[in-house]
Amino acid sequence: MDSSLQILIVEDEILIALELESLLQDSGHSVVGIAASSEEALALGAECRPDLAFVDIHLADGPTGVEVARSLAREHGIMVLFMTANAKRIPDDFTDAHGVISKPYTERGVQQALDYVIACRDGAGPPSIDTLTFMPFQNRGLRAPSQAQG
Amino acid sequence: MSEKSRAPDLGSAREIEEGLGDPFTAAFRATRMAMVITDPRRDDNPIIFVNDAFLNLTGYAQDEVVGRNCRFLQGPDTDPAAIDAVRAAVAAGEDVEVELLNHRKDGSPFWNALVISPVRNEEGDLLYFFASQADISAKKQAEQDLNRSRDILEDLVAQRTRDLQEALDQTSALLHEVDHRVKNNLQVVSSLVLLKARQSPDEATRRVLLNMAERISALSTVHRLLYPAGDVSRFDLKEFIGDLTADLMTALPKDRITLDLDVAPVTISAAKATPLALLVNEIVGNALKHAYPDGSRGRVAVRVAKLDGDVCIVIEDGGIGLEAQGASGRGFGKTLIEMLVRQLRARIDWEDAQPGTRAVVTVPLNAEEAQL
Repeated sequence: MDSSLQILIVEDEILIALELESLLQDSGHSVVGIAASSEEALALGAECRPDLAFVDIHLADGPTGVEVARSLAREHGIMVLFMTANAKRIPDDFTDAHGVISKPYTERGVQQALDYVIACRDGAGPPSIDTLTFMPFQNRGLRAPSQAQG
Repeated sequence: MSEKSRAPDLGSAREIEEGLGDPFTAAFRATRMAMVITDPRRDDNPIIFVNDAFLNLTGYAQDEVVGRNCRFLQGPDTDPAAIDAVRAAVAAGEDVEVELLNHRKDGSPFWNALVISPVRNEEGDLLYFFASQADISAKKQAEQDLNRSRDILEDLVAQRTRDLQEALDQTSALLHEVDHRVKNNLQVVSSLVLLKARQSPDEATRRVLLNMAERISALSTVHRLLYPAGDVSRFDLKEFIGDLTADLMTALPKDRITLDLDVAPVTISAAKATPLALLVNEIVGNALKHAYPDGSRGRVAVRVAKLDGDVCIVIEDGGIGLEAQGASGRGFGKTLIEMLVRQLRARIDWEDAQPGTRAVVTVPLNAEEAQL
């Protein structure tokens, strides 16, 4: 299966978003958009139908990232990775995301998170995770992995 | 009533009243303990004798109390449960001890430690009740004062506990917020440097910026490891080195360098975490990047052990050696290593590993760290 993903970045800190975009492009993925607020994120999610969204908890309109993640996952079947310096804001029983990358992220953390979501999408066994910066939600009774959109 | 079942001879009524004749009666009369004798065989168990101490205690005259039941001492504030206990004991002909609120003739209340005992003849017939009274108002007052003080203290303690909990909650929230901001700012700094690196056409500039990003990343790892442990005063060197080296390896092509880690669990104080992290990052980063030039394969080992109150960190490669690496040309990295070694009051020895380089960093631990 295609290991190149269409990715939406939901992040209000433009420097972080641009750098992440470069990192994802270097890893062979496409960034379909960058959203700074929940409104932009939901609009871009509906319009671009990405495979995956990186979602920060704190957006331009407040701590709305958790709700954004829920909507993207439930309404459009988009896989979600949180990316935040504030992982404690994510409810313990949240199952609409695949995991959380903690800021400041490392290239290795992002890479392992990408490997993990691709394995989930393809129904493969989860790869081993040995970084401090990515925590998969595999023990949370994750909803069935959504099929790729294209 | 038979002659035998009669009461022991207490003397004539006059003699009893005046305490004459019998030494026991005289003692009874003279003691400072208030005492009463009642006759349960007469209607309503009336008082048949009181001593002076009783009269002094209650303020009554003898002729005002003899012939009456003792209940005139009670008042509306007397505990009904105490009265019931007395009544039940008297009805059953048993001993009873109670503390109850009684009143003097003038209406003033006093706390009475009342002891009532039945008096029986040889056949076991109930003849009298003997009762002693002691004014324990002072003791009761002290008890009440003590209870009140205790209640006040408990309220104070509860209030103070609430205040402290509130302060703690505020501090935790503040720490959390600061932690979040530090992480976010580290991320912004890191992104800024990496963005600039990506846009730099000059290879040398790019390398400098990527080195800076790696140093920032090492600091980020320190920060990440310091906070979640709940103890911001200590730092786990083993976990740090595992994560740092894995991050540094990502920058290299796969399988080019084999990393051997042999790191004992060592905990250091948080104050040393930053300089030590930067120092390890610098030396390990150099070994990974420069010991095996031109894409050649090789091996880098990192060993950490606790040794006689020091922590000993050995970074060893089998590469081309410092001189061939042109290490003297890497001015800032070298200066940084020297500064960090000085800050840690550590020692660094560069040895020829034949082939390759061995850096031996010896960091003295303080007494507390040596215990950890």
